[in-house]
Order: sequence, then structure tokens, then C-alpha cells
Amino acid sequence: MRIASAVVLLSCGAAALAVETPPAPSAPKNFQVPAKSERALGNGLQLTFVEFGSIPKTTITAVVRAGNLNEGNNTWLADLTGELMKEGAGARSANQLAEAAASMGGAVNLSVGPDQTSISLDVLSEHGEEAVAMIADLLRRPQLPESELARIKRDFGRQLALSRSQPDSLANETFLALLYPNHPYGKLYPTDAQLAAYTIDQVRAFHHDNFGATRTHIYVAGRFERAKIERAIEQGFGDWAAGAAQLVNPPTGVSKRQIKLIDRPGAPQSTIYLGLPAIDPSQPEYLQLSLTNSLLGGEFSSRITSNIRESKGYAYSPQSSLDVQYRSGYWIEEADVTTEHTGDSLQEIYAEIDRLQREPPSPQELAGMQNYRAGVFVLQNATRGALIGQLAYMDLHGLPDDYLTHLVERIYAITPDQVGAAARKYIRPQEMTLVIVGDLAKVRPQLAKVPQLKGLSLQ
Amino acid sequence: MSRYQHLLAAAAALAVAGCAGQKVSEPAAASPPPAATATPPAPALNVPTEYYKLGNGLRVVLSEDHSVPLATVAVYYNIGFRIEPRDRTGFAHLFEHMMFQGSTNLGKMEFIKLVQTNGGVLNGSTRFDFTNYFEVVPSNTLETMLWAEADRMGGLNITQANLDNQNGVVQNEVKVNVLNRPYGGFPWLDVPQYANRNWYNAHNFYGDLKDLDAATLKDVLAFHETYYGPNNAVVVVAGDFDPAQARAWIEKYFAGIKGRPLPAQPDISEPPQTEERRASKVDALAPRPALAVAYHVPERWTPEWLAFGVIDQLLLQGEDSALTRKLVKERGYTDSVSGGINLLGNMFNYQGPMLWTAGLVHDSEHSTDQILADIDATIRQVQEQPVSAAEFDRALTKMRSQFYNVIGSASRFGMVDLLASFALFDDDPGRINGLDAQFRKVTPELIQQTARKYLVPSNRTVLTIEPGKAEGGKGAAP
Repeated sequence: MRIASAVVLLSCGAAALAVETPPAPSAPKNFQVPAKSERALGNGLQLTFVEFGSIPKTTITAVVRAGNLNEGNNTWLADLTGELMKEGAGARSANQLAEAAASMGGAVNLSVGPDQTSISLDVLSEHGEEAVAMIADLLRRPQLPESELARIKRDFGRQLALSRSQPDSLANETFLALLYPNHPYGKLYPTDAQLAAYTIDQVRAFHHDNFGATRTHIYVAGRFERAKIERAIEQGFGDWAAGAAQLVNPPTGVSKRQIKLIDRPGAPQSTIYLGLPAIDPSQPEYLQLSLTNSLLGGEFSSRITSNIRESKGYAYSPQSSLDVQYRSGYWIEEADVTTEHTGDSLQEIYAEIDRLQREPPSPQELAGMQNYRAGVFVLQNATRGALIGQLAYMDLHGLPDDYLTHLVERIYAITPDQVGAAARKYIRPQEMTLVIVGDLAKVRPQLAKVPQLKGLSLQ
Repeated sequence: MSRYQHLLAAAAALAVAGCAGQKVSEPAAASPPPAATATPPAPALNVPTEYYKLGNGLRVVLSEDHSVPLATVAVYYNIGFRIEPRDRTGFAHLFEHMMFQGSTNLGKMEFIKLVQTNGGVLNGSTRFDFTNYFEVVPSNTLETMLWAEADRMGGLNITQANLDNQNGVVQNEVKVNVLNRPYGGFPWLDVPQYANRNWYNAHNFYGDLKDLDAATLKDVLAFHETYYGPNNAVVVVAGDFDPAQARAWIEKYFAGIKGRPLPAQPDISEPPQTEERRASKVDALAPRPALAVAYHVPERWTPEWLAFGVIDQLLLQGEDSALTRKLVKERGYTDSVSGGINLLGNMFNYQGPMLWTAGLVHDSEHSTDQILADIDATIRQVQEQPVSAAEFDRALTKMRSQFYNVIGSASRFGMVDLLASFALFDDDPGRINGLDAQFRKVTPELIQQTARKYLVPSNRTVLTIEPGKAEGGKGAAP
């Protein structure tokens, strides 16, 4: 039994008392992922509804399989199209759209990614139908006004200059170019000349060629009147042309040991990007790799973070992750480390990978990470936006309908040996691309002493 | 692979964890102001609040809600970076890190592991007037978390090695967030230093690296003794729990921690500003100039302060706001103008002088004065014409909708933050349910009056960032 007075005594600084152990949790409660219901319109547009929560709001998100993948060599044409779609749609100007969205308690949230463009409105429930109508205007009837093109291009140019002044953006650009040399995913930023040359006709053609019903999935989550929202969607989208089927063109990433150094004279930190192509979520061993990543570097309590942050103090927010797109993905460790400890940090990262490959984690360590993943699973499915994010992820990667229902039990079924095997099979330092942005005069001599880099040119 | 970034959006709070451990996509505590109100005819959502104090002075707020089997525990201490020791800039934040380094019964890394292996997420942050620590956990582990928070309120057990280590981590935090990036402290860290005259409001909150190096173990332990007593704190528990059970656990684990005399609060009042302040900073990493304007805001809970909350919505929040319309859409100076009241939180979670700040990055072909003239013209509209009913309604609708997100969030970070702030600063967490009525009292006349009194050049600071390198070559702007 633990009693409150023990806390008092210890708090007064009395040493040498027996260390108290934390009270054990009670039995966990069940959490049911809110049920979804699905259907399709005649033109192929997919619909998913999740009635959920008590807050009188509705989130409506339309996800279109049109993204940077579809640009070919016209880097950022998808982004430019997305930005211009907000500059007037249907009969409304950009200002009128912004005002109408705000009057519903929301804002037009449009984002363009590698595989998808998504438009989302999170509004007070009584405005759900209006929001659907606005999304229909934005997707189907954007004005794509030429009058705004120069301004948006200038904004993009400014963003580009800003990105090029940030070490993480530079590292990311270089890393992706090395990983995917002949694919749109490998072209993070356009050149200034490229951006300047885009015309309104290219934007309109991109929209015309890539936006249509078969590529679109609309998610509705929160509190809403199902019949009314469904009718609004039928009215807004029922007569939309099917359009072209989605483009399938996953890249084959480069798996080889290579290094690229970018000089940032005087930089107090080195920005490290170290990674390699990995499997995507449709693969059977993906969950094992994902848990392996959590344990190796994905979380605050993970091994690499414990080592280079909490033990050595070399970094503030190092993190490894699996970055996935449709039928492709890569594992990466990203860390901003003290310049003087760039070589040391790399050696510790390699050492942690090596240790996990040689020796499976203890059942206790693995159980801790399994508990963590099971716990955050609730957080990941308990708000409108988060839930839609999960469902869209499943749909993009073609995961089975009961994926969420069985995810927690599948996480708990993973064994220490499977983690060790995943580390050996997928996290292979001898095939990793390494990018470092930093003060090379200070960094190069350190790299020369890192055994894993032996034989690579450090120029 | 988000290609379109908003450098000035929501400055990060000074936090113990960076991205690590924060993979859950939830509005973080430092997200844009969770402002609040409710306009009829919408159903008035009521946040249940139970408020009481332990014998040792610890304030406790319980807010029960069984919609999701999670519980959020937050402990807020009434000590922020604003009043840290004069020769120890950055100490309050460094200390925040030390709260994770070992306490009476939990060794280094054990607190973090205890939370994560129980399926929870955690963080801490340092703000103007408080330092907070919070966990979101499966609700069956609530007792464990209360025990752990009580353990570190009860006492730290740390070594010089722990301090050296976290000094390294914090210095890397400063480097990654400020020193090695363009516009690093702009405007959130920079503006208070130019806009204020009282040292407490005007010093470097992250701290000079040499001051950080000077911190000793003795300082750390003395800081805990002085500011981390139960009578200087509030514990908030929100979510899925039984209040009677939670009360019993809180009594069991916290009641024995002794209260102690609190030092007198230093004078943090800011002398009235009488003329415009202008400052310029060279940023060697910045490819473009940047501009921020900052105005001192009315005192909390005055009618003018409420009016200022509405003005913030009208001028700066959302794509429909007047400054976005003028500076972004009409003039094309920038792709984004952003800011608000209290860039390290929101209009509710501070206690003392505060600024309303708006900032933007622009091309060098446009001068500061040209942009200021347009800002002034936009402000003049609010000063000269009463806001229309439609605009007023839109402002309140934005606040109400955002408030729903705050109380409907699964992590409950934003809601707990309001409850803790109202308990710490106002001794009245129930204010969370009266906000709608408060903002409803604001009249168009009061908005005009407030804008005329506060949004004047003599009450503002203009800070510009000058790129340290010549532009050209890299720039795309035609």
C-alpha cells in the first residue's frame, strides 16, 4: 500500500527511503472506432459517413487523387492549381468564398500533397449542406482567374526563397532528389524559371485532366443530418463527369550508400537526413516495420532519441519516421545536432540501428511501445479530423475495411524477434542515403572518422 | 511533404519535447487562440467544472466527460519566463526540462516512459506567466499519472550530469528554433524585447546561451522550492473518470506536499507608451524583409479587452479578415499575415501586460512605410465606421466554432488550458462557460472606441527584419 505520508517524507529530501513504485492502472476500457457507412454515386464518386460525437460540428473533406505525382516535370503545377482554386469558384469571388466559409464557422482548407489534393470545411452543423455546395463549386467550377496568377506565383516564389534558406528544407529537397531521381516525388521544389513560366492554360489543363468523380472520395464526420447531407452531395456531384482514372506510377527508390553534403558556413547545427526506401502500408510486414520504427527512433522514449538527446544532449527533437505514398515509402532519421557532435551523433544513430539488428528488444521494452501505440490509437480516432485522416489513409493504401478494428490486436501480436527481423530486413545502413546541411569545414573532418562512411567521397 | 509553409504561423511554445512524441494530430496547446463565445440560437455547450482547494493551497479543477476513454492531467505552476531571475535569462524554461529528469521516486527517463508505456502522450511548456505539464492517457491509468505528477511536485532528484545534459538539449532547441533558421525568433521572441520597457517583459525568454551555461544545480533546486509548491499550482483533470475517485486520489497523493510562503510578485507593469517605437534587426539567413506591428492591449477582463478580442477576429483571424484581404489579396505584399493577442498562447492564458502582434514576410520592392500605410488604412475603417451586424456575427461565429473544437478535442489540451488559466489567474475556472455572454456585451461603439484608443501609432512598435545578404540570384520575384 502506498500512503500519502510517504510522499511527504520523501518530498522533504529524506534520502535512502525505499523507492515507491507507481500505482498500477486498472483494467483498460474498450474503445470502439465509430462506425462508418459507405456508398458510391453512379459516376464513381465515393462517399463515407461517420456520425460521431456530441459537438454540433461537421467536417466535410473531399480527397482527389490529383497531386504532385500528376505534374510530370512541371513541379508545383499541382500546388499552383490548388492555390488558384481558392481564388473564386462558381459565382463567388475569393473574398466571398472566405466570408461565406467564415459565416459557417469554418475556413476553406485546401492542401496539395504528393498523391492527393484535399479540400476540407469544418463547420457548424447547421451549415453542412452549404459547405457541401461550396466544395462542389471549388472542385468543379473553380474560376482559375488569370488576374491572380502573377500574385500567386510571386507568393510561391517568396516561399521558395524561404524554403531555400532553411536547412531542413534543403536537406529534404536533396534527400528526395537522391532517392527518387526520375520521379515527381523527387522534385520537391521547382526552379525559379520554371515557376515563372507556368501559364494559366497549364493550370486549367491540369485541373481539367485531373479532377473528376472517379478520383474523388468525400468524407463526412461529426453531427449531421444524414439524409440532407446525402441529398446535397447528390445535387452537388451527381452529374460530375467521371473523368480520367487515377494515375498509377509508384517510384522505385534508390537503395545505395550515398552521401551529399551541403555547406552552410557558420551553422551552429548540422541537419542530418539519413534513410532508404521501405515498404508501404499495403505490405504484410508494414506494421512490424512501423512498430520497429517507433521503438528505434519514432517516439520521445525511443532508443535514438534517448541516446542522442537524453543521454548525450546533442539534439532537441531528433525523430525517425516512415514516410509513405501510394505503393512507395521510405524510412528516415532526421536530426538537427550540435555542429561539434555531427560525427558522434551519426555514430550513435548507426550504433542504435546495429544494436536493434543484433539483439531483439526485451519483451518489456516491446510491450511498452505496444501499449503506447494502442493508447494513442484512441487519440488518433477520436476527433472528426483525425478520423477522416485515418479513413483516407486506409482508402489511399487500399487497406481492408476492418483494418482499424483489428489494428490494436495486430500491434500486440508482434514479437521481439519480428522487430529484430524487421530492423535487419528494412533498416539497412549500407544502403542509406545521407544528406548533411551544415558547416562543412567543421563537419568533414568528423565524417572522415565515421566507419560507416568509409569509402564515400566527402567532397 | 507540405510544400507551402507558413513561417510565421503559431510560434512554438518553449517546450520540452520537439516533434518527438507528438505525432498525434491534435491541436497542441500552443495552437492559435482558442477564442470563445456562443451566439444564439446554437445550443450552449456547458463544460462541467468542479473547483476546490486542498488544505495546502493546491487548486483542483475536475471536468468530467465520458465521450472518449481518455483522461487529461495538467499541472500548471504560476511561474513563467516573464518573472524568472534577472541574471538568469531562460532559466524558467531550462527548469521545465529539469522536471523530466528525475523526481523522488522516478529516475531519469522514467517519467516519460511511465506515460508512454501506459499509452499516453505528454509534454510541458513555458509561457509568460505559467509553466505547464500535461499527459493525455487511457483513462484507466489516471491514478498512475496523478501519482507521478505529485511525485515531481513533491521534489526533484537530479544530478549535475542531468543539468549538463538538458543544458545541451535546450541549447539545441534554441539553435533549431531560432539561431539556425531565418526569422527564427520573429516575431514571437523578438517583439516583446523591443515593445516593452520593463525588464520582466522585455528580456530574452529563451535565454542567452551564456546565462544557460551559468545555471547551477543549486539554482534548480531553489527554484523548485520557491515556485513549485502546491499553493502556487493548479491540477486539472478532464475526461473519463469518476469525480469522487479522482478527489480521493488527489487527496492521497498531493495533500501531503507542504505549502510554502510565496515570494512577492515583482512589478511587471509596463509604463504607458507615448510614442511609436521602431526597431530593425538584420537577419543573415533571411532572404526577404519582414515586418511586424505590435500594440499593447487593454487589461484582461475589461470591456475594452473583450472588444479587442473581437477586433482581432475582424482584422487578423481567417482568410476573411480585413488585413488578409488588404495585404494579401488586394496588394499582394505577402501570402500570409498572421498573429494575435499573446503569440505564445491566446487572449486568456496570461496575467499582465500583453501585445497584439501582426507579422508578415514581404518582397523588398515594397517598403515598410507603404505596407504600414495600408495597415493604418485598414485599421482606420474599424475606427471610423461601426462594424456591420454581419461582420460582428461572423467574428463571433468564428470564435464559437473554434471554441467547439477546443472543448471537443480528444486531447482536451485547449480546454484544460482555459480551465487552468482561469483557476490560476482568476480563481474561477467556471468562466469557461460565461465567455459567450461576455463577448455578446461588446457593442459596435465599444469596438470603435477601443480601436481609436489602442490601435494608434503611439501605442505600437514596428519591427522590421532586414535580410543580411543581398537579394537576387535566388529570388523568384519578378
